[in-house]
Amino acid sequence: MLAATGTAVLAQLQSGSYGSAKPNSIEQTAAAQMSNDGNFAVASFPSFAPELAEGEGRAETESFCAMCHSTRYIVMQPPLPAATWEAEVNKMTKTFGAPIPEASAKKIISYLQTHYTPETRKQ
Amino acid sequence: MEQWRRNVSRRGALKLLGAAGCGLAVGDWFGINPVFAQEVPTSKAIEPFTGPGPNPHWNSVGPYVSEPLKAPLILLTDRPVQLETPRQYFRTAFTPNDGFYVRWHLPEIPNRVDLANWKLKIEGNVNKPLALSLSELMEKFRPVSLAAVNQCSGNSRSRFQPRVPGGQWGNGAMGNAMWTGVRLRELLDTAGVKAGSVEVQFQGLETGPGPKGLGSNVFLKSLKLTDSVLDEAVVAYLMNGEPLPMLNGFPVRLVVPGYFATYWMKCLTWIRVLSAPDENFWMKTGYRVPDKPRGNTTPEEVKAGGVKTVPITRMPVRSFLVSPDGQSKVPAGMSVTLRGIAFSGYGKVVKVETSEDGAKTWREAQLGEDLGAYSFRTWEAKWTPKTPGNYTVEVRATDEKGNVQPDEGVWNPGGYLWNRIEKQDIVVGKAS
Repeated sequence: MLAATGTAVLAQLQSGSYGSAKPNSIEQTAAAQMSNDGNFAVASFPSFAPELAEGEGRAETESFCAMCHSTRYIVMQPPLPAATWEAEVNKMTKTFGAPIPEASAKKIISYLQTHYTPETRKQ
Repeated sequence: MEQWRRNVSRRGALKLLGAAGCGLAVGDWFGINPVFAQEVPTSKAIEPFTGPGPNPHWNSVGPYVSEPLKAPLILLTDRPVQLETPRQYFRTAFTPNDGFYVRWHLPEIPNRVDLANWKLKIEGNVNKPLALSLSELMEKFRPVSLAAVNQCSGNSRSRFQPRVPGGQWGNGAMGNAMWTGVRLRELLDTAGVKAGSVEVQFQGLETGPGPKGLGSNVFLKSLKLTDSVLDEAVVAYLMNGEPLPMLNGFPVRLVVPGYFATYWMKCLTWIRVLSAPDENFWMKTGYRVPDKPRGNTTPEEVKAGGVKTVPITRMPVRSFLVSPDGQSKVPAGMSVTLRGIAFSGYGKVVKVETSEDGAKTWREAQLGEDLGAYSFRTWEAKWTPKTPGNYTVEVRATDEKGNVQPDEGVWNPGGYLWNRIEKQDIVVGKAS
């Protein structure tokens, strides 16, 4: 009974504080069914599409970049200078052969430069 | 107090009780007491990205995710999968398989391998090409075990200034395991390397939708046949005494002790002896470092052109403080144990030192068991901060070749070879 011991004890501690929060817990995974054959398998790898900044060129960025990789590759980066984004998109088309039409590649570069540089990045 | 009031179920219960008459005793039961002078700290999610300054956190800033056969790890990217190991996993010399970091380059990575059909091929410029099932690998060759650190070339890339594009790893793109398998040399000798061979190429089950001949089509790495690391390399089918998790390279992966993980091919399926140097993207363009001390250059030098590069190889000496991690205050006068790990790709760690006074004085830490030259080595040191204040604990290691961690960062366009002295701020509070 805290009340009986008085305020001297209470001043030494604070307890029972619970804040409200988003239930962002991770589910436990149930064990998979397995047979005795030579197949060793795991479930699909979960994929999480991040929300990209709204603006001109977002649709091109989401569809063309995601041909080969999740757009988390964009949001994971620190804010990068405009020239770096241009070099990154050019690397995808020229070095890695991504079939992005030139006009779309330009739009993607401009989109990334508008939303993901040190001067412009918000989210 | 505000947080308590926001607690819906309590408020609801109080309301219901109130209807029946809420006396002083009920108020005490629900902890409603006005004497608390201070709020508890509010818990906040970590920021979603860092920069343009360096990432100030030990780990990367992504959310925790649960991937097949893995404990919740820190997400860098989901396709292809890149996951970072949280700091607390490094309390022990061996990193558990389910906590071990994951890094793939291309999106087509295996969900299923059929061992009734899978064969490890040793082919190319050899006298007798081999195709070995997993059971043949396990039964026909002498098993060997060694402890070795697997560290991504870009581990700690998020410390770079200016920042460079790439996986924004904190410090957790590393792990140490006891690897068991077959010596690569024994496989090469059994196949018989022909005269005139220069390199050996490794290919796993990692592919992408890109055109043939480009780096986006297949991930390939090679080592020179004259490289003595080939004598230490192991084709491993056990990781800490268990099968490898799919995301860490089931059924076998190459272990290249002392070298960065880029050579540790996952799901290794082709070992190919080459009669000409490998010029594929992942050797000629990717994973190269300036041919200069510490692989260090500047953005200006790179822009000016002519920085000669070489393929990345051995890991420079590093050490880490794992606990205390700065998440909790330490009472003044308490003797706490600083704990961590150290390793070097150049040979065994022989000394770990800590400093708590801004690098004015260094004290030698107690080293843990020697598990082999390429393993994590644990260390610990007692520390008693006598007075309240803000302290910075620093740690540096020395390897048997005399390499010591410097207090300067490194910069190169790939974001490789970071090994600056680690620092941890610790808040010490009054104990009386």
